[in-house]
Amino acid sequence: MLKISSYSIRRICLCAVPAMVLLLGAPLWVFAGPEAALLVLPVAGACFVAIRSLMKQVATARAQECFLDEQLIQSQKLAAIGELSAGIAHEINNPLAIIAQEIEWARLQFDGVTSDSPGLEEARDSLNEIAVQVERCREITHKLLDFARKRDPLIQGADLNKLIEDMAKLVEKESSQKGIPIIRDYRTDLPPIFTDPPLLRQVILNLLNNAVYAIQQNGAITIRTRIPESGQVEMVISDTGVGIRKEDLDKIFNPFFTTKPPGKGTGLGLSICHSIIVRLGGRIAVDSEPGKGTSFAVRLPIFHNAQKKD
Amino acid sequence: MSAKPRVLIVDDEERYRTTLRKLLTVREIEARDVGSAMEAFSELEKASYDVILLDVKMPEIDGIEALGRIKRDHPSVEVIILTGHASVDAAVEIMKLGGYEYLLKPCPIDELVGKIESAWERKAARDKRQKAATNPHEAS
Amino acid sequence: MASFRVLIVDDEPDFLETIVKRLLKRQVDATGAGSGEEALEVLKTQSFDVVILDVRMPGMDGIETLKEIKRKSPLTEVIMLTGHASVESGVQGMQFGAFDYVVKPADFDELMEKVSQATERKALHEARIRGTAE
Repeated sequence: MLKISSYSIRRICLCAVPAMVLLLGAPLWVFAGPEAALLVLPVAGACFVAIRSLMKQVATARAQECFLDEQLIQSQKLAAIGELSAGIAHEINNPLAIIAQEIEWARLQFDGVTSDSPGLEEARDSLNEIAVQVERCREITHKLLDFARKRDPLIQGADLNKLIEDMAKLVEKESSQKGIPIIRDYRTDLPPIFTDPPLLRQVILNLLNNAVYAIQQNGAITIRTRIPESGQVEMVISDTGVGIRKEDLDKIFNPFFTTKPPGKGTGLGLSICHSIIVRLGGRIAVDSEPGKGTSFAVRLPIFHNAQKKD
Repeated sequence: MSAKPRVLIVDDEERYRTTLRKLLTVREIEARDVGSAMEAFSELEKASYDVILLDVKMPEIDGIEALGRIKRDHPSVEVIILTGHASVDAAVEIMKLGGYEYLLKPCPIDELVGKIESAWERKAARDKRQKAATNPHEAS
Repeated sequence: MASFRVLIVDDEPDFLETIVKRLLKRQVDATGAGSGEEALEVLKTQSFDVVILDVRMPGMDGIETLKEIKRKSPLTEVIMLTGHASVESGVQGMQFGAFDYVVKPADFDELMEKVSQATERKALHEARIRGTAE
């Protein structure tokens, strides 16, 4: 694909304008004298500006197209991963169920046995550990199924600011104890939107929870709402936390991607958010600078397309 | 009302159903197991059961279809669905077909036993009511 | 004729009594339960549009109760009521299908508003299931 950077725009302008001056100026100098040749200069200047703005427009359009392509690929990829992982979870649940029962049965066999043999205690202990790990697997597969299950949105009218504010109040009790105030910058004339309120609350809560986690102690969370273009609303949740490394930015919506220590998070939170927002007809984007903070922007249509079908 | 609940396990996974049968038997529950919906239908013609534990994903006739047929032919039997998938829509479907409960595998044995007991109690209470309605003199 | 059937579950008897009274005054068919276990018992024989559920209760806690309610009666909407908000439990609750979270002390009018939105959602859900059943 043709890529036009601002560097190449400058290159084209730098080459084209002197070439034009030479091509037009030289014959004019010869046939009409030096005064006429001077006229070429303002014309060349105007051309320079025109070419540059045209090239810039082309570049912006290209960039937008690339962004939308990437968004589309990203959501298709996530949908595929979701389906695949639900299939795997389902398959794993069956052997897991058998293992869980065999543990139970083996425990019963041990119950009446009394022996001084240290091996018996060891065997009991390892049986208990197997049970603990089965429980861990069970939690993972159940969460995974929860992630993949398709709950078709139920569309109701809602006030986005109010929806956010309710969740902010919930988070604020905990966050203020950690020295993390929540700064609100709501656009007051936001139109009501038609969406699935509990699903959206789930997203907001997840994002706020992540923001608190990224900051840990002392910092700030900013919530902003705005109208990016007609027919849409947007909320941006920013934190002053640790930020996300450049190489991780592409992966953060993937299921199981987590930077939390083992056992602390399943890495499904953001992928759940992503799949919800896609189902609500919107999109979610991330911007981050390591050491400075992260912001998530969620854009939603005012009307959900399920309404048009009804 | 019998002293123990009689349970039929329907699951195509042999090791799962046999160990589950043994675990239930130890807990004073009379259990038998079969490997397919067809076997379950013929077993239900031969003997009476209080509670059926039904797997969803089975070859030929799956659990949802089997549930519909069981509730049609033996409406008083309580059915607990054991599934690898759980969703609101599946749950609604199961409830509409008359399922008593649906549980996600793997399900802790204590939880399962609790569900079997409450399904059994519900069936016993309903049987008693029906008996009283059809034959008021015998009811005690 | 009452418009909504609401079950309120809270382990504080005074709070429970007051809120049931206030809801009844607003023509809401309100019932109270003092624990998660009691709520599930009531749900066996009666059906409700909305359950208002305290998160922190002795015995069966709010999250466990929520899971059971959604399992037994998936269309009933549940509003979680929380005093000492724990974000972790909030995230869990929303994931298990709660309709909303309300921080105590809740403004009564706001709570009424949420109850009516939750009831609307339940009606929409029922309408959709009836629509697809045909």
